[in-house]
Amino acid sequence: MQREVILSRTLLVLNIIAVLIILVLGFRQLVQPPIIKAIYQTQYQELMFKCDNVMREHLIAKNRMLTEPSDDAVKTLNAAEIGLIECHDYDVMRKRLIALGLTDNDLALMGLKAIEEKGTDVKTFVKIHELKY
Amino acid sequence: MSKRLLRFTNSSISALAIVLLSQCGAARTGQSIIGILRQQVIANGFARSANLYQNADEPLVPVGKAIFESTKLSLNGDISCVTCHQDKFNSEDGLPNAAAVGGKGVGPDRMMSGARLLPRKTLPFWGRGEKGFEVFFWDGRVSYQDGHIISQFGTSVPSQDVLVVADHLPVVEIREMLDDGDAAIASRKLESVSDSQIVYQAIAKRLVVGEPDASAKLAQYLHKNPQDLTYTDFARSLAALIRFKFRIKETKLERFAYENGALSEPEIKGALVFYGNGKCITCHGGPYFTDFRFHTVAVPELGFGKNGFGIDYGRYNATFDTRDMYRFRTPPLFNTAKNSFYTHSGGVSNLRDAITAHFDPLSLVDLKQMTALQRNDFYRRLAYSQETASRVGFLTSTDVDNLVSFLQTISF
Repeated sequence: MQREVILSRTLLVLNIIAVLIILVLGFRQLVQPPIIKAIYQTQYQELMFKCDNVMREHLIAKNRMLTEPSDDAVKTLNAAEIGLIECHDYDVMRKRLIALGLTDNDLALMGLKAIEEKGTDVKTFVKIHELKY
Repeated sequence: MSKRLLRFTNSSISALAIVLLSQCGAARTGQSIIGILRQQVIANGFARSANLYQNADEPLVPVGKAIFESTKLSLNGDISCVTCHQDKFNSEDGLPNAAAVGGKGVGPDRMMSGARLLPRKTLPFWGRGEKGFEVFFWDGRVSYQDGHIISQFGTSVPSQDVLVVADHLPVVEIREMLDDGDAAIASRKLESVSDSQIVYQAIAKRLVVGEPDASAKLAQYLHKNPQDLTYTDFARSLAALIRFKFRIKETKLERFAYENGALSEPEIKGALVFYGNGKCITCHGGPYFTDFRFHTVAVPELGFGKNGFGIDYGRYNATFDTRDMYRFRTPPLFNTAKNSFYTHSGGVSNLRDAITAHFDPLSLVDLKQMTALQRNDFYRRLAYSQETASRVGFLTSTDVDNLVSFLQTISF
């Protein structure tokens, strides 16, 4: 009799734990990602733009060093290298979002949304996607 | 079940560990960025304020103060240096265009009282005459280059101290401290060097009579008779005062760079824009945050302009070199956050807009409200500003806010 009581209580506890686990896993898999995306989309978008912007600026500064070498070009390249620090914030944000349960696919989707924000016509849209080949 | 539970618990602990580690990583990286920033601040010429000060004539500071505040400096007007260089306006006059002779009071009161307006904004005095600060006025018309003083005086410079030479200009500038309503001045409107000598002699006489105590102390210091004092002697005392009173003092950035002091998050982010993507440092480098060179930024013009009809060709007026069209000296940035107006004609009324003018000047003008001539002049200024446009990176609104925060760290 006592054994049955213990067994039934154990089963009850295990059931409660199982339900909790399902709830937690369900929350993490289904509810959390859209919430995280909604919270961080704008911030992620801005950081992604900034990183892209400073990388383009850096490339221009490097090319300028080749085509028009001068003291000014050196100064500009040096500043552009410091500018790349902007990408650190973007990297940290990416890792934080992954730790919060987002996948690489989620992040890729968020990134595409950011890039396509200004792609209001077909040509721009095609150009964005051509870059991905 | 217990195995699954254990697995879940393990994965939760792992996830927690990842989150914690990522936070620790961010903190560590933050420190390394701060280290890079400190290096950049120093590597780009930022010096300790105490190392910039020089003043061979420091005993003349009290004399300089009396002369600085004396209206006898103006031959025929009721104006002194302090009229336009007020402590309460960050050593400026709080106006977009300087209000000079012919008015009463200071700042806006002076403008409203019928003062003669000048085409440019009054410059602040911070750092003038300190080590390496050797280019003066918006267009650099007085400067020290390659061992020579370049000015309107040609080879007959009144002093080998470039600040003393600069102090010779405002008192003979018509509408500034010299009223051309006076017939004697109106007849000598050529502003030639020989005519200016007559004005200097007259001002020196006025000062000897009108400021007897200061003149006596100056004469004693220079081992001269008061009657023999020249305007250059008085200008020397003015230079002593300017160097002393407006010397660069310790700032938050100095404590950050040299004493491991802290900056707030917006200040650090602003510094990263300043030394990084904004490329501000490519022109605003060195101990005074200026390269002492001349650049064009397509800023809105305000007032009647040095060349009339709202046009100001900038350094071209001093050199007649067409490559200098619309160029102005890179402004030093100490205390710039305290200014009332910005740019050579005061056409920008806040620091945010002054920064924005470097990368998005079109946002500061209403083209439809401008006359055809204003639009044409602005178009030309845009064309001449291609060097700035190709250099300064695109900044977001947050970047600009952070830059403003950073610039406050070099105020004192």
